[in-house]
Amino acid sequence: MLKNGETKLQEIAIEVNSLVKKYGTLAAVDGISFKVHKGEVFAFVGPNGAGKTTTVEILVCLRNPTSGEAKILGFDINDRKGQQQIRKRIGVLPQDFNTFDLLTVKENLNYYKKMYGEGMDVDALIELVDLKEKANALYKNLSGGLKKRLAIATTLVNDPEVIFLDEPTTGLDPRARRDMWNLIEGLKEKEKTIFLTTHYMDEAEVLADTVAIINFGKIIAMGAPSELILKHGGKTALMVEEGGKPVYDLLSQTLSDVRLENDGDVLVPLKKKSDLPNAVLALDKNKAEFAELIVRRPTLENVFLNLTGKKIVEGELH
Amino acid sequence: MRRILAIIVGALRMWFRSKTTLFWTLAFPVLLMLLFGAIFSVSQNPTFDLYLQNQDITANGEPTQWSKAFCDMLNQTEMFNLHTVDSAENATKFIEEKGIQRLLIIPHGFNSSITVGNNVSIVLKMVPAEVDTASATMRNVINQVVEIFNTVVTGQSPPKMVTVKSESIVSETFKYIDFFAPGIIGMTLMTSGVFGAVAWNTRNKEFGILKKLATTPLSKLEWILGVVLYELIMGAISTIVIITVGVLVFNLKVIPNIFSVILIISGAIAFPGMGMVISRFVKESDSADAAANAITFPMMFLSGSFFPLEFMPDFLRQIANVLPLTYLNNGLRDSMVYGNVSSALLNTLVILSVGIFFIVLGSLITSWREE
Repeated sequence: MLKNGETKLQEIAIEVNSLVKKYGTLAAVDGISFKVHKGEVFAFVGPNGAGKTTTVEILVCLRNPTSGEAKILGFDINDRKGQQQIRKRIGVLPQDFNTFDLLTVKENLNYYKKMYGEGMDVDALIELVDLKEKANALYKNLSGGLKKRLAIATTLVNDPEVIFLDEPTTGLDPRARRDMWNLIEGLKEKEKTIFLTTHYMDEAEVLADTVAIINFGKIIAMGAPSELILKHGGKTALMVEEGGKPVYDLLSQTLSDVRLENDGDVLVPLKKKSDLPNAVLALDKNKAEFAELIVRRPTLENVFLNLTGKKIVEGELH
Repeated sequence: MRRILAIIVGALRMWFRSKTTLFWTLAFPVLLMLLFGAIFSVSQNPTFDLYLQNQDITANGEPTQWSKAFCDMLNQTEMFNLHTVDSAENATKFIEEKGIQRLLIIPHGFNSSITVGNNVSIVLKMVPAEVDTASATMRNVINQVVEIFNTVVTGQSPPKMVTVKSESIVSETFKYIDFFAPGIIGMTLMTSGVFGAVAWNTRNKEFGILKKLATTPLSKLEWILGVVLYELIMGAISTIVIITVGVLVFNLKVIPNIFSVILIISGAIAFPGMGMVISRFVKESDSADAAANAITFPMMFLSGSFFPLEFMPDFLRQIANVLPLTYLNNGLRDSMVYGNVSSALLNTLVILSVGIFFIVLGSLITSWREE
């Protein structure tokens, strides 16, 4: 979606400069700076406790930063008047948000809309998030996935220019997650600026135009997912499934940095164009035994692993 | 205004859909009224079980002249269901064995002391030294009897005065429903106000709704006013229910006047305001409940909701004097029941200022923003 107007990219929706939030001596956010362009999906990726939610809450004027500056749509978050302007123009999905149990889908949306006075037509909004059949169902009777859809809808009632989604898919089953991705893609098509936090690397890779990887309050890498993967993801690799020691020995003769994994898979980093045909030819010529050949491209997970030496499993560092 | 209205309408919808909150606002006050009303207001002419041991008997087993006269006088009040205890019984042992509550002893020498003009005491044993209305009233009645008895002994007043006098005591003390109904209104306004506001805040905090609302243009004063006004509607509903039950079932006499209305409104604002302040200091819902309990429970008993403050020891009355519910209860009684406008005015002013104080304090210390 970046393509639909290079001029749009020049306009900045969120600008953050040396933002710091300290609790005692601990810096939850430790001097981060970044820019989010209008119409962009910006993903803040990192493990739990990295400073994602703190950053979001500073940007939506729920917390005061210890130091540093931030502007949303040109309005200063440190300024009272600026905050009022920001609140009118943003939509926020707080982490673990649950709305009123005993109000229906429609009543819930109307409730939040009244807080702004004007905004999107609620019926149209219900249609947008595909909750038409449940419009008069109480929130407490919705499934987890539908609850999240309504939660997303509440961020749109004022037709905001910038939307903050704090871990919108945490705790959802895979299907509901995909569902949520489609919804976010839909918002992207409406040229909304979306600031998204997640600890799922695949989510960021699929949805984001720009990814900032945050760890211990610091941004350790930032850029388009493809760029980051190219820079930090390592090489595309040929995986010889269940090749075992014989295949490892065979390929190590002609290629460098071949790895034998614990489960018997053999990984061959493809450094030169000729590496792939050479490896395949060698396997064929020696009638090597293996289960399958797969060419594996690195993902954001490799980027995080290469940068920190750790993996994120269920949000925690491993 | 639009936002405050949205908060109130939303809350009313949820109230109507929740069986628990419906119960607390509608059924609970009715139950309280019926229960306490049934216990106390039926006893228009209550009789107390009183055990009477006359130790002052003559050699041939007959009670002496004056002791018999005193017993008759007690009987004439028609307040007592007298049980005679044999004079040979050991009083302390008798109380223990029979598990009785009250024993009045006319000591040996009662008659002779009176005849020669000496002082003599009768002994009223109560287990324990109770402070409940029944015992207090009974002690009053006995004191009155003794007083009249004394005038009979020393002067020439006719004994029939006894009945007249004690009947007036009875009718004064035992329009208990008139005393009780305003107490129930005060108590309901307090509990529903404090707990309502605390529950509403802590629940919405846990669900992230407060955080969400804080990202909208809604101001914290609008939020507090919305919650408080909603609780005001709840309080008004409960009050109407209580008065209706009181009038229909117990023939409660209510004097309608502006002070009662202002008092109820002020009370219905002050207590949710207090709840908002509590929930600012106590973040978790469990401890917020505990804090609300710790504040409302003693206040319920110390502010004269169930029994008159006169029955309490001095230091407790001092405490009662600083509790807002005391002023609400007294004010409601003065205005609604006794029609005493001048003293209702003072109580109204106190409650109204407490209400304004808590709302202002609440909106000053409530923080939308996190630390």
